[in-house]
Amino acid sequence: MQLVINAADELPIYRQIMRQIIEAIAGGRLKSGDKLTSHRELSEHLVIAPLTVKKAYDELEALGYIETQRGRGTFVSARVPEPDRGAQIEQIQQSARRLLSQAYLAGLGFGEVVKVLEQAGRELTEGPPAALEKPREKETV
Amino acid sequence: MTAILEFRNIVRSFKKGVPVLNGVTFSMAEGEVVGLLGRNGAGKTTLIRIAMGMLFPHAGTVRVFGLSPTEEPVAVKKRIGYVAEEQVLPVGSTIAELIALHRYLFPGWDPSLERQLLGRFGLSNTTAKIKHLSKGQARQVALVCAVCHRPDLLILDEPAGGLDPAARREFLETSIQLLNREGTAILFSSHHMNDVERLGGRVVLLDDGKVRLDRQLDQIHEDHCVAMIPRSAVPDAAAIESLPGCLRARPVFEDWHAVFQGTPEAIRRQLQGSLGVDGVRCVSVPLEELFVELVGSNGCLTVLGGRGASGRPVLRRPSGSRNLATRSTP
Repeated sequence: MQLVINAADELPIYRQIMRQIIEAIAGGRLKSGDKLTSHRELSEHLVIAPLTVKKAYDELEALGYIETQRGRGTFVSARVPEPDRGAQIEQIQQSARRLLSQAYLAGLGFGEVVKVLEQAGRELTEGPPAALEKPREKETV
Repeated sequence: MTAILEFRNIVRSFKKGVPVLNGVTFSMAEGEVVGLLGRNGAGKTTLIRIAMGMLFPHAGTVRVFGLSPTEEPVAVKKRIGYVAEEQVLPVGSTIAELIALHRYLFPGWDPSLERQLLGRFGLSNTTAKIKHLSKGQARQVALVCAVCHRPDLLILDEPAGGLDPAARREFLETSIQLLNREGTAILFSSHHMNDVERLGGRVVLLDDGKVRLDRQLDQIHEDHCVAMIPRSAVPDAAAIESLPGCLRARPVFEDWHAVFQGTPEAIRRQLQGSLGVDGVRCVSVPLEELFVELVGSNGCLTVLGGRGASGRPVLRRPSGSRNLATRSTP
């Protein structure tokens, strides 16, 4: 597992660990049944307090992403929860705000930003691989 | 859980009538990690020295493992490891001699931990004299001397002071291994907020002789925010500081910066309701910023209050700030 900790972030370290492990699961870098580094080992690798890593693991377990098997270790759950829709929308909104302020700095009007989005969407759907197709499939299932 | 370290209403001054510590109360449980924060002169070292039995408090009680450190110094020191801020090691002796002395003093000395740490720090040549070591190496020797008797409580007074980032990280790695393998409780003072974040646990912030903040680090992150309130809308800090959850307000340019307990969203709503002011911004901030907002002097003051009778600008001074009078203002 390659985790990056920023001790000067406003996000608590345990949340940084949680987010990166969830991202690794969502991105397929961690698969169901994969074994995670023990919290003590990870604490020494990352040079952060063992309790901090334990808290991240506990929360991930409570959310259903990972499970601890006594005496064997911690594993990615067989069935990981569906991504949190609300949190995802919140993230997209954040990116949108950033995009709009960037556009403002560049002197682009709202209409032009929409055009840029349309163009980007066309490039994505026409070019391989169709990244935008995936979520649509999911919704119809 | 039983408290292994307990300060109750500690008062101590060095100059008559000017208490450095003025009623400090907190305690530490077994295996707990507590970061002691505060500005220079806030009394961190004084408090640590009181715990070590090196200073008497003028009022209040201190108990270490339930004992008084001044009445039962040996029983207390057996179970404590201590690295002082300005550790004075005997410069003429060698590493080996210094370690031999500690091994003799502490019956529970662990030679394998000693070898392991010396190896990690690259101090295997123990015939080197202390005076020929770098600052970082001397600190590492002090750490070896402080931990190899496997103390139940490790007290580190600014362990990272003056060390380069790599040496600081090595020091931290060792502390974290001790936490992992021995469950040692650690009380440390530091000005390096990143180190505080990494060691985790609880934060006790000293200011004005008292404990200003005593909370778990994660709670501080998730339940504190800084509100920026236009000074044109709220004339004085007292109006903000009297609001529920407000820990401190100070002027920074055109705004009040106020630290609140609560999430940014909730505090923003509360402020809009109670002050009826638009243009309030609430943000979560890293620990370093929170520290500055809580104990920093009044920020770059802009003159909002017009001019006083003398024709000099009137500088507003919010209640709770104590540095303005002694500080030269920009």
